[in-house]
This record gives sequence, structure tokens and C-alpha cells, in this order.
Amino acid sequence: MAENITTDITIAIDGVDIKTQPGKMVLEAAIEAGIYIPYLCYHSGMKPFAACRMCVVSVEGGRGFPASCTLPVADGMKIRSESHEVNELRRSVMEMLIAEHPNGCLTCHRVDICGPSDVCLRHVSVNDRCITCPKNERCEFKDTVRYLGMELESPLEYKYRQIPLEVSDPFYDRDLNLCITCGRCVRVCEEVRGNSALCFTDRSGRALIGTSFGDSLLESGCEFCGACIDVCPVGALVEREHKWEKARRVEQVICPHCPVGCQLNLEFNGAGKMIRAVPELNSPSNHGQACFKGKFGLEFLNDSARLEQPLVRRNGQLEEATWDEALNVIAGRLPEFKGDAFALLASPNSTNEELYLAQKFARVVMGTNNVDQTSNIQPELTVGLERALGYAAATNSIWELEHAGCILVFNSNLTEDQNVVGVPIKKAAQRGAKLIVIDPREVELTRYADSWLRPVPGTELLLLGGILKAVVDQGLEQTEWMDENCEEPATLHYTLNSIDMDHVTRVTHVSEEAIAEAARIFAQADGGAVVYALDNLPGELQRDCVLSLVNLALLTGNIGKPGAGIFPMRSGMNEQGASDVGCVPNRLPGNLSLRDATVVKALERSWNCTISVSQGLGVADAINAARDGQIKSMLIIGDSPNFTNGRLGDGLAALQNLDFLVVQDTFWGQLAQVADVVLPRSTFAEKDGTYTSLERRIQRVKPSIQSKSGGAQPEQWVFGELARRMGYSGFDYPAAYAIMDEIASVCPIYSGVSYPLLESQVSTVFRSGLEMPKPTQVLYSGKERRGIQWPCTADDPSATPILYQNGFPNGKADPITPVFQAPEPHLDSEYSGWFVPGRVLLQTDRETTVVTGKLNRLVRDELVSLHPSYAENELIKDGDPVEVVTPRGTWSGLARLDPSIPPGVISVTTLFGQLAVELQSSEEKNPMSKAPGLEILSARIAKVSALSSA
Amino acid sequence: MDGLKQRITAAIHNQPQPTVTVLSSLLAVEDAIGYIPKDAVEEVADLTGTTINDVWAVASFYPNFRFDPPCEHQLELCWGPSCHLMGAMAVIAAALDQVGVEGEGDTSDGKLSLRYNTCLGACAQAPVISADHNLMGRQSPEKVRAAVTALLASPSPHGQGGN
Repeated sequence: MAENITTDITIAIDGVDIKTQPGKMVLEAAIEAGIYIPYLCYHSGMKPFAACRMCVVSVEGGRGFPASCTLPVADGMKIRSESHEVNELRRSVMEMLIAEHPNGCLTCHRVDICGPSDVCLRHVSVNDRCITCPKNERCEFKDTVRYLGMELESPLEYKYRQIPLEVSDPFYDRDLNLCITCGRCVRVCEEVRGNSALCFTDRSGRALIGTSFGDSLLESGCEFCGACIDVCPVGALVEREHKWEKARRVEQVICPHCPVGCQLNLEFNGAGKMIRAVPELNSPSNHGQACFKGKFGLEFLNDSARLEQPLVRRNGQLEEATWDEALNVIAGRLPEFKGDAFALLASPNSTNEELYLAQKFARVVMGTNNVDQTSNIQPELTVGLERALGYAAATNSIWELEHAGCILVFNSNLTEDQNVVGVPIKKAAQRGAKLIVIDPREVELTRYADSWLRPVPGTELLLLGGILKAVVDQGLEQTEWMDENCEEPATLHYTLNSIDMDHVTRVTHVSEEAIAEAARIFAQADGGAVVYALDNLPGELQRDCVLSLVNLALLTGNIGKPGAGIFPMRSGMNEQGASDVGCVPNRLPGNLSLRDATVVKALERSWNCTISVSQGLGVADAINAARDGQIKSMLIIGDSPNFTNGRLGDGLAALQNLDFLVVQDTFWGQLAQVADVVLPRSTFAEKDGTYTSLERRIQRVKPSIQSKSGGAQPEQWVFGELARRMGYSGFDYPAAYAIMDEIASVCPIYSGVSYPLLESQVSTVFRSGLEMPKPTQVLYSGKERRGIQWPCTADDPSATPILYQNGFPNGKADPITPVFQAPEPHLDSEYSGWFVPGRVLLQTDRETTVVTGKLNRLVRDELVSLHPSYAENELIKDGDPVEVVTPRGTWSGLARLDPSIPPGVISVTTLFGQLAVELQSSEEKNPMSKAPGLEILSARIAKVSALSSA
Repeated sequence: MDGLKQRITAAIHNQPQPTVTVLSSLLAVEDAIGYIPKDAVEEVADLTGTTINDVWAVASFYPNFRFDPPCEHQLELCWGPSCHLMGAMAVIAAALDQVGVEGEGDTSDGKLSLRYNTCLGACAQAPVISADHNLMGRQSPEKVRAAVTALLASPSPHGQGGN
């Protein structure tokens, strides 16, 4: 890169000259140059720690044996790493380490040929054998012992620590008898994840890792991301599921659970079963991190209850059919519904190619714009963004957030919904960046927030108006930048001027000082980033909230700069891709307008058809239209929680209304039960194609598993077959690359993208010889797959990490003026308040008991926080048992009167540990896809008499 | 229970020294209450902007912190080098015999917590013991027996709500 102007310096390791840069440590320089120096506590991505003393070296002209992980490089430095005396020292250090770890096998020459029930001539007890360790075959510690060539006999006697195994927390097994106290887990949890759910305990010979008072991870602040497991060099921390299985094959996939686009390495055993997920260290999307969903939520790939054969409804019963029969039934019936009586709902985890074909099928074959994907229930998320700036996407890359001066998180529970986005945000907050959270709910990030603005639900827009006004009133606008880059914001100023701050404070229950403070922190920060979702916002406020947030970014000059920008938190895995390739009702591929006649003409020429220009229906409208009987037939790919979680009303009942419903899905579920034809669908891991993450990164995936019986098929094949049977050409592609070529020809922002280009974004990472011991994550990360961030045009086929750096597509950004209103709370007489749920990792203000058993459970009284005035009407006192009655059920807990809670808000904050237990014990096939969000509901509070509560 | 919380809060928030750290806060709690209750770990974490686990890492590192309520009286017996030379082992043996325990720990009746100490900082007075934080020098087996008897007969310093 151009800014990399530091001059190289040369150091020599064992006589080999290597080039490196000042500021690096010797170990780091050696690893980059492919020279192996043994290490156990160092791990890429964490600060050096110098605890294990395995990386000691000697320096010519220097004294002693410094640890190379904390030894800064200096020009001309001559390092000895493989000398006799250095290796002797390492061996004696290792002797001390293996004195605290079962070592009979570590130092035995038969270790690789021993079976679990072999007679051991060294009398190593079965429990202490490597062969019975879950980490065997990928144990960095064993590899290091063998690399050092330890003697058969250790002079120090090993004594088993006799610590009971912890096997009752969700997902993790902990066997601290194997721990070598390298501290990687403690450091990754603190430095990288920002949680500090683990700590060192005790001292000297008894030092280990653990939690405060030895508590369960459920109450120690753990988010079950698995980062500690991924870095553990021994068998102390392992995934419980498939604990003993050995990896025989590793394939890279993109995680299907959210739009961050995490690259995961999936381990498969000899029988082809997926046994573990290890996040990719070199991935630009996730930097070696994953979350509870990605790490522990891919078990569905192994489920044997997959749909393997098409089903056709005959005489009211779904009966097995051949693909040929099923496709013929569909091809025979669909022509009846051509036009707007049909809707196609694709899946958010379809590939770009499949989503493109889906919308092409709907538009060309069925002649309708009723095409969408099922996670797109809030299309307003990006409408305002696109109108004001030009593109419907995040302006910057996720990991730039790490370097932002201030981050504003608006109505987003991203720690659960787009978890890895939270990692750079927490890192930034740890570094001293300011974090502002605007949310009525207590979401996990509020713990790190410098300022948590908690408006009354429904008044968020007015609060944003107040913040914008505070920016202008305090003279914090970047007028110079605005003049150059934005249309004249006169109307905006005029509207802001008319906002009455007293009114804002009264309605939102956020103090004027807090508003002014938030405005000041954001506007004065060196790089301010806005991260937003529209969780729980009333539909009529959504567009204006987005416009307000865009205006905030514009007024403060935070667009087109590194470490700044605006990030819409989409929900579905490939929602960005769906929007890009036109799998949305009112947009054509490339996010081009249906109203643009030249665009439509060009597309008609290219597709050789006529395109309907009437407005299409999105997922929410389509479900409503099905309910009304306007839509008579649908093709739905993949089940979605939105059909059953109530956000679209009773989705399933509406779908039952249809004359003809085709469902393509992986598992037999509620959606498939109401279909007329069910087609088995390939999973994300069986597909060839590309996905686009929320940071606009187009990433290529290749099939990593084969569907067992070959029964399931990708959508691509289904659309091809259906179109052919219905007499349409233009749907037969030799392979996925050809579809991408067509996408490139019709989507301007993708016009430079091709599979060869994506392939060229892969580079080999050189990390010392293959035979050397390495952490598992490093072992799997020989390649860096950057993908490419659009716009990637034919003229300039390079990635665009930051949008609008060289201006805006429409010339200037347009600060569109929102209408700053707060709708009158339309709470009916039955429900006088709002149930505002929250969920955090850690709560220390109340008694929590963990019931230990086969699976640990949390038991505690949930506190229902209320404003005292609200409680008075109901005559509720602190500590009274109360019930929160909502349209979706009843909650009970103990009242806590809290004047900081806005009147009318009934706030209940639960622990994430509880959710982890529920997900772990869920009967769902793919429980992580059904992880409940935090939905605000209308509610009322009722006192429970002591008798009935007992 | 609430009384305990208030005592923790008072101890943590009334530290005299200008620099307040995790360690100084833990010491303040230990001094005031005699041990580190779970609530104190949480409160120290809140005060110092760290997590309960970070506080626990510090607290569990130091053997001088205890995490369950101490007995009514504390007896510390120094076995540092000076005391050792001046006959600490005989003093310790006599003290153990008088208390009726085999070694460090709490008596089963909850009367006395007995600990060894590596230096009480009064080597000139060796052998030294500390009875409820009062240093007593130039001990002999006879003197220490008398000291234990007197200690057990005295009122508990924690009985009156700490210092």
C-alpha cells in the first residue's frame, strides 16, 4: 500500500537474512518469513504475552535468552534460535510444563501408533493417554514437545490435578487438568472479544484459568463465541459436540446465519460428517472470529432427516414423487398464475446467482415483479440511504469500526443478530473510542456505551431530530465539507430550527444535556460511524429515521472517510446480494429502477422478453395479498422464522389460502406441510456461487459437501429445469460462473466481477513449514480470500472498501429532510405500556443461582423495572410479584421501581446464558436460525397476589 | 444482607489514598469485613470499570484474601527466617496444641482462624504473632498459650460491625 513508507530492516535468524519492519517482534518477523520458532502462548491477533518461554532465543552481543515474542526487531540483529544451548533451555522449560500435563505419551516414540486399548509398556493410565484426549492429532502442545525432541523420561514427576471436568455449560467442555496456563483463552476473551468472561485464578503452582468464584460460564459474561476454544493449544477447552472426532478434511464456507459473511473452516470426519467449525484467521470479514451461531449452529448439516425426495400433494396428501414428476406438476400449474397472481420468495441464504435466477424467473417466465426474499421484512432499511447517498449498502468495511473515534449504534441488537460486527465495536470502545447506544432495550452493547440514550419506544425519530438540532445549534457542522459534497441543506436547517427541545425531552424522556452531549461526542470524534437497524420501529418512522441517521453522518462529514461511515444492519445472510441482483420487488438487477425506461429496454433486450413495470409486492405485502386472495400461487425457497414469529401476522395461515404453493426446503417443517409441491433443497455448504456480505464483499464459495443421496438440488438447477419445461430459454447455464457473467453484464456495480477476478483475490499466506507445530487456526489458514467489495466495474475492476471517497454517484449527497414526528402512542385501553425486553451477558445486581446438573440452568427472579409513577397507579411496591401481560403471552417477575426508566416502559433484562441453554437444548433442526430477537410488545402490568404467586 | 452491602460500599468508597485500584479496593473490603464476599467482587468491578473475572484474578492471586467469613478471632503465626531462628516452630507447636488444630485453618466451632505468616514485619521482636491484628513479640510457648486463651476470651472485633 502507498502509505506503507516504513523502510525495511534486515535481521538474521540462524544465519538467514530476513526483511522486516521496525515495530515488529522477532517471533512475528520469523513467522512471516516462514522460519519456525516454537511458541505456545503467542497467537496471531493478540498482544505478545511472554508467558510460556518457549520462544526464547539468544541475540549475538546480547545477554541472556529473551523471549522472541516480546523482543523488538532492530536492524542488523543476529538471532540464534536453533543453537544447542537455546534448545536445551527450551527443553528444560518444557520439562516444567509437561510436569503439569499428562506426559507419558507426549515423550513416547509410539504415540502415533498406539490405540486406546493397547497395553502400555510405560504404564500410562488410560485417562492420561494422548489417544483419549479430544485434541489428539491437532494438539499444538504435543507437536511442540515432539519438535523439541524431549527425552523419554522427564526428571519431574507428573501429578494429576484431580480437577473435576466441567461438562455442564452449553456447548463447551472444560478439562483444566490439561491446562498449561498459556493464557490465550483469557486474552482472546479480553483483548479480542472484549468480554473478560475468563480470568487467571490463583497463583504459582495452582494457577489456572477460570471464572469469578468458579461460577458457571452462564453467569460469568460468556457469549459462547468459541474464541477460547479456537486458540487453546491443548485439550483443556473443546467443543462438546463431536469432541472425539478427528478431522480428515477441511473445507471453507461462508456462515449462513447472518450477513457478516464470516469465513469458517469446517472440519469433516472420515465419514463426511461435519464435526467442527473453526473461523478463518485471514478472513477480512471476521478476522478469525465467529459467534455462537456460526461456531455451534451448523449441526443441521449432519441431520439425517433431510428432505431427499420431492413430494407432490395428491388427494390432499403429500406423496413422494420423482423430480421429473414434481417439476412437471409445477410447470403444468404455474402458467395458470402468470402475472401478479404469483409471487416468488427466495431465501436470504441463496447465492447471488440463485437470487438472480429467482428474480429472472419471476420477471421473465411469470411476468411479475412480485419477487423478494423472506428476510426482507424491513425494506425501508436502505431506501433512505440509497436516495440520499446513491447506494443501498454500508459505506465502509466492518473492521474499520475498530478505528472509529465514535460509534453510534441505533436500535440494533447486533451482538446477537450480527455478532461479529460487535467485535470491532467493543475493541474500539476498549481503545477509548466513544460508544453511543440509542435503544429503549438494554442490549449487550450498552455495557460498553459511554452514553446510552433510552427513548420511549416510538419516539426514536424525534430523538434523532433533537440530536441533529444539537449538532447544528452547537456549531458542530462540517460546513466546508458539506458545501463541497452535499446539496444545500436549507430545508433541513429550517425544519431543525422548528424543533422544540423541551418537547423532545418531554416526549422521549431523554434529557437535553444527554442529547447535546451525544451530539458533541459524535460530531467532534475523529471518525464517527453510524451502525443502525430498525428493530421495533413503527413502520411510519422507519424511512425518516434512516434519513436522519444519514443526515447526521453528512452534517458531521463522516461519509467517504476511513473509520467512519454508515452501516445498515441487514438481517438475512445474503440480503445485500439479493438487493444487488434485483431479487427485490421494485428494483431490477444492479438496484436499477423499474421506472427507468432505458434500463428496462436494455434488460428486455438482454433477457429477450418484456418486463412488467407495475409495482411488485415484497414479502410482507405478498403475504397480505395471499391472505386477501389476490395472490394465488407462490414459490417459496426455504422456511423463514418470519412466517411463524408473528411479524407478518399468521404467515402460515395466509399461505394456506393459496391455490398452489411450491416450497423448496432442506427440512420437513411447518412451511412444507402446507405446500402443494415440496422440493428438497441443497444447503449452503453444497452450493457453488457467491455471497455478498453487508460490507458489500462478494465472496466465492465452492461445494464442500455432496448431498448424500443426491436428492436435494440447488435452486439454480430447479429454475433451469422449470424454465425449460415451461418453454423459456435463457435459463440453462453451463455452471455458476456463467450466471455471474450475466449478472456482470446487467448490474453496473458488478460489471467487473467474474470468477477469475474473485479467484485472483486469493493470496497464499506464508506461515512456516507444513511440518511445524501450529495453532489449529493457523494450520487452516494458508490462504487469504479477500473477495471483492463492489462497486467493481468493468472500467475499474478493483475493490471499493470505502464508498463515496471520490464523490457521489449523483454528483452530491442529498440531505433529505425527514418529518420529525413522534406518533401519538396508539396504545389501547387494554395495554397501557410497552414490554421492553433486554438481554445482556452479565448482570451483577441481582442474585443468580446456577442449578448444576447434566446441563446447567440459571434460576433467578427476573426483575420487572418500572417507573415509580407507572407503578403507583397500579399500587405496586418494590419487590412485589408482578405479571406483564402482552398479546403474545405473560411474563412474571418481581417489580423494581426505577426512576430512570421512562413511564410506560416495562423493562425486563434477561441473561444471555439463559438463551444459550435454550438454544443448546432446542429440538429445532436449525435452532440458531430461530434464535429469538428482542421484540417490544404492547403490554400492561398486573400485580400478583402473594397467594397466587406461591 | 443489606448491611453487608452497605459495609462493602462504605469500605470501597471511603478509601483514603488518592489512587484507587482493584487491589486497594479489595484490601479495603478485607480490612472492613474480614473477607471478600461475592458482592464485593461485583462492586469493585463496577467501581474500577473492570469485570468480575478481572477482579477475581487479582483477588485469588493473593493468599491473604479469604472468600468466606472468617472466624471470630484471627491468629497469625510468623514463621519467617528471623522468627524461625528465634524459636517460632516451638511457638507454633504450642499455639496449635492450645487451639486444638493440626495446622492452618479454622476451628470447627468458628472461634478462631489460624494462619502462618512469612513475615509480620517486626523481626526485632521475633518470634512474633498477631492476635486480631495486634502484634505480640518475644513469644515463647508459654506466652503464646496465654495469648490464645486471652484471645478466645476477648470480644470479637467483627461483632461490633467492623472498624
